[in-house]
This record gives sequence, C-alpha cells and structure tokens, in this order.
Amino acid sequence: MNAITETAAKTVLICEDDSNLRTLVRLALGEEGFRFFEAPDGPSGLELARRTKPDLIVLDLMLPGRSGLDVLRDLRDSREFAETPVIVISAWSHSDDAALEAGATRFVAKPFDPDELRDAAVALLEDDRAP
Amino acid sequence: MPLSERLPKSLSGRLVVGSALLALLVAVAFGVLVFAVTTLDDATKRERHAKALTAETLELQRLVLDLDTGLRGFVLTGREDLLAPWTSARAALPDKKRAFLRLASTTAGERRRAMTLVDSIDQYVADYAVPVVDIARTSPAAARQQVVSVEGASQLKTVRDHFGDFLSKESALAAARTSTAQRRSDEAIAAAVTGLIASALLIIGFGLYLSRSIARPAREVAEGAARLAGGDLTTRLVPQGVGEIGDLTRAFNEMAERLEASRRELEEQNERLRESEQAKSELVSIVAHELRTPLASVLGFTSVLLQREVTEDQRREYLGIIEAQARRLAALVNDFLDVQHLEEGRLSLARDLVDVGSVVREQTELFAGQSPNHLLDVSLPRAPLPVRGDSNRLAQVVANLLSNAIKYSPDGGVVRVAGTRTDHVIRVSIQDEGIGIPPELQPDIFGKFVRGHATANGIEGSGLGLAISRSLVEAHGGRIDFESTKGRGSTFWFEIPSASPE
Repeated sequence: MNAITETAAKTVLICEDDSNLRTLVRLALGEEGFRFFEAPDGPSGLELARRTKPDLIVLDLMLPGRSGLDVLRDLRDSREFAETPVIVISAWSHSDDAALEAGATRFVAKPFDPDELRDAAVALLEDDRAP
Repeated sequence: MPLSERLPKSLSGRLVVGSALLALLVAVAFGVLVFAVTTLDDATKRERHAKALTAETLELQRLVLDLDTGLRGFVLTGREDLLAPWTSARAALPDKKRAFLRLASTTAGERRRAMTLVDSIDQYVADYAVPVVDIARTSPAAARQQVVSVEGASQLKTVRDHFGDFLSKESALAAARTSTAQRRSDEAIAAAVTGLIASALLIIGFGLYLSRSIARPAREVAEGAARLAGGDLTTRLVPQGVGEIGDLTRAFNEMAERLEASRRELEEQNERLRESEQAKSELVSIVAHELRTPLASVLGFTSVLLQREVTEDQRREYLGIIEAQARRLAALVNDFLDVQHLEEGRLSLARDLVDVGSVVREQTELFAGQSPNHLLDVSLPRAPLPVRGDSNRLAQVVANLLSNAIKYSPDGGVVRVAGTRTDHVIRVSIQDEGIGIPPELQPDIFGKFVRGHATANGIEGSGLGLAISRSLVEAHGGRIDFESTKGRGSTFWFEIPSASPE
C-alpha cells in the first residue's frame, strides 16, 4: 500500500446489501480520492466502522442482521461517530423522517442519480473539513 | 287447579272475562237495590191498607154504637124520633159490612176474625136489638126492663169485645208486617251497598290490573324502542306481561337480538375489509421497495455509462449488470402477478397429462450449465411419473426449488434431485449442501417476502418463490414441505397425486 497517498484520501464506508449498488456508490463518488470499505449487513458494517473510522458513511436501511436505523443509532450513541456525516440511501422513500430523526445527515432515495450522491458526499466532506 | 291456570292465557280473553264478571256483579247489586225499593213500596201499601181497614172497623163500630144509642133512647123514652140513629145505622150497616169484609181479606186469620165480628153484630141485631125494638112498641116497660138488665148490657159487650179483639190483632199484625218489611229493606239496602262497594273495588282492581298488564309494559316497550332507535342495540326488555303483551316483549327482544347480530356482522365485515385493505397497501409498499432496488442499479449504471468515461471492459460489465437487473425486474413483476392471481384464485391451470420426470430432467439441464461450482445429481425411474396438471407451472415449481438449492449453497456442492412414485403419489425432492435455514425462519419460510439469509450472502430473489411454489403445488392437490439444518443444507420436496397413464 502507498502510505503517502492513502493518508490524503478520504475513507468512505458503504453499508449496503446489494453488491451492484455498492459498486454503483463507488462509481458515483469516483474511484479517485476515496478509499472504500464495504459491508453487506448491519453487524459487519458497525464492526468495520469501529475498525476503520471512516470520514463518511453511506448507509442502506434494509440491512440483514441489524437494520440501518439501529446501526445509525448505535453510531450516534458512541462519541467517536457523533459527528461523522452519514448519507442514508433507501428504497423506502417515506422513511426519510425516521432516518433524519435517528441522526442521518442526508437522505437519498433509491433509485438515486450518481452525480447527486457525489455532490452530497463532497459537500459533506468539505463541511467536515471546514472547522 | 290454581286460579291463574283457570284464567284464559290471552290478555283479551282475560279482559272479556273480567268485564263480564264486573257487569254481573253490578247487575246483581242493582237487582238487590230494586228488591229493597219494591219491599219498601209493598210495606207502604200494606200500611195504607191497614189504616183503611182500621178506619172501616171504627166506622162499623160507630154504626153499632149508633144502633145501640137509638135503641136505648127509644126504649127508655118511647119517643119515635130518638129511634133515628137506629134507623139510619140499620140502613147503612149492610154496605159497611161488605166494605169491611172486602178490606179484611188479606190473610185467612183476618178474614176469620172479621167474619166472627160480623156474625156477632148480626147476632146482636137479630137476637137482641130487633126483638127489643119490637117489644118496646108493644110493651115499653118489658123492653126497658130488658135494656137495663145485665143481659142487655152483655149483648153489646160481646160485640164491643170482638171489635177490641179485632182491632188489637190488626194492629199487632200491621206492626209485625211493618217491622218485617223494614228488616228486609234494610238487609236489601245493605246487600246492595255492599255489592256496589265491591263493584267499585273491583273496578279499581281491574284498572290496576290493566295498568300493570298493559300500560306499564307498553311504556317499557316504548322506552326500549326509543333506546334502540337511539343506537343502543344491547337494549333488552325483562320478559313480563300476560298473553299479547308478553308476546310483544319477546318479539321486541328477538328483534333487538337480530339487529345487534346484523350490526356485529357488518362491523366484522368492515374489519375484514379494513384488514384486507391494509394488507393490500402493505403489499403495494413492499412491491414498490422490491422494484426500486433493481431499478436503482439499472438507472444508476445507465447514468454512469452516459455521463462518465468508461473503458470497454467496464462498459460490458455495467451493461451486463443493467441487463441482469432488468431481467430481475421482469421476473419480480411476473412473481407479483402470480401471487396476486393465486391469492384471488384467478390462476387457471391446464389439466394435461404431464410426466413430472421429463419436467425435472429439462429443468436440471437448464440449471446445470449456469453454475460450474454445483454438481446436479438427478435420479429418476425409467417409467414416467404421470400427474394431471400444468407442465409450465410444475416446471416453475421445480425451477424455484432448484434455483434456491443453488443460490443457498454459495460454496457449491452436490444438489440431489430425485423423482419417485409410491402408491398413488409422485414425489420430487431436491437436496442441497448449502447454508440451511435458521430455526427461527423455518415456520415462515413459505410466507411472502421471506428471504432467509439471502441478502446477507448477496443472494437475489423476490422472496416470493416458495410462496408461489406452495400455492401451485396445492392447486395441483398436493403438498410441499422441507427439512433443513442450519449450516448443513436443506431438502425441499413436494408430492402430487399420480394420474394413471393413458
């Protein structure tokens, strides 16, 4: 691994059960400049988050093992993830309120436009850097 | 037999009987009263008669005294003019006697006493007075001697005694009659008053009975009807009242019972409709969600292809994903329609003679080429496995089970497919060496949108395959079930009644 470029790259955790959509999220954000970690279910997502401490989390709601909302609440309960930006993507278009209430920074409905997701991610990471 | 059992059962019968009794009682009381008045009237008539008889008796007595006075005056003085009272009394006597006898004829005793009195007068006149007057004309002294003698005085005394006797008897009789009449009249009046009081009491009692048996129950029925109309369908009346009123109460309760039952039925129907509406809206919501996931891939990769610079390899890969996801969408739509049709009983099945062995063979061949990691081991008898049914739908069941066996054994392994015929049943079993089904998911595995560990392992599917398969097998008159151990694999099997080959 190239340590110098890796430190500059932002880390993104993609927690999504559909492998095609994980690929799509990767493509949408752009392979350059990001380092991706992928988890297909709730428990492994939480585990990976604790291990990799990502700069941004893209979280699906319908996850096996542990639902996306539960994962989100667990993240917000721990101090190290209290401020981490989380983009919730879900095909349950009417669950945006529940997601925002549980601590989501942004809600993006499936199907989503790759550019829209990239813009949201970039904006959140810049906000994060600002202070 | 107690009174209540002798009374008519119907209310109108009882009212008729009660009215008749009342009318009878009033009539009797009135009759007794009329009797009392008649008795009093009769007594008055008798009293008047007694007074007239007494007056007639005294008149007769006066005539007799006039006779005696004239006799004495003439005999003692010899003067003819003093004989005038005698003469007029003698002339009046026969009429007076007849009048007296006519009046004194009420009883046999009275008549007898009157005859005795008249006889004594006649005897006095014939045996004493007339001879004395005749003697006085010829021999005044002898006549005078006769008049002043004891015998002369006693002649009149006998008549006088008869008069006294008659008058006293008559007076006693009148008194006795009056007292009897008075007593009877008193008794009759008492009986009539008692009867009238009894009638009055009976009328009051009858009124109370009417009120109790008609007015009060009728009011309660009216109040109950008002409550019922107000929407309280639990309203029931205490069964009471005689005959028709009792029938009314019972009919009311029955009506309320039926109203309540039909409302309950409507509410239950409503509840079922609501539940089915809710289930439908949940299904629509789930369908929308299930469709959005492959749509997200189709639209997302299409955007990437349109907007980004991609290599030829990437282009091929993304188009492959788009095609697979579009096919998945199409399959999902078909599954949803199948479920819908199966649930509504609208799926029409062919009733052809189908060899299940051929169906299994075809499907296994189709799946064999798809996965290099899996070995499909097919075991079928030489003889056909005939059933009546729809070959396409049976193929769909076998394909669903085969697809599950392959999908849920991601590490590969042997999938054993066997067809057998026992007695009258064709049985197909498909055994895998895959991840198995966790016990907590086993009870619901044939439900809709149950996908087991599928998503965790990246296994795609609508979660409808087993639900559709079960409906199809059952539509063929068969059954479907499974055995599974988590981590060791699953065996799904179905049985369909065999058909005799033609």
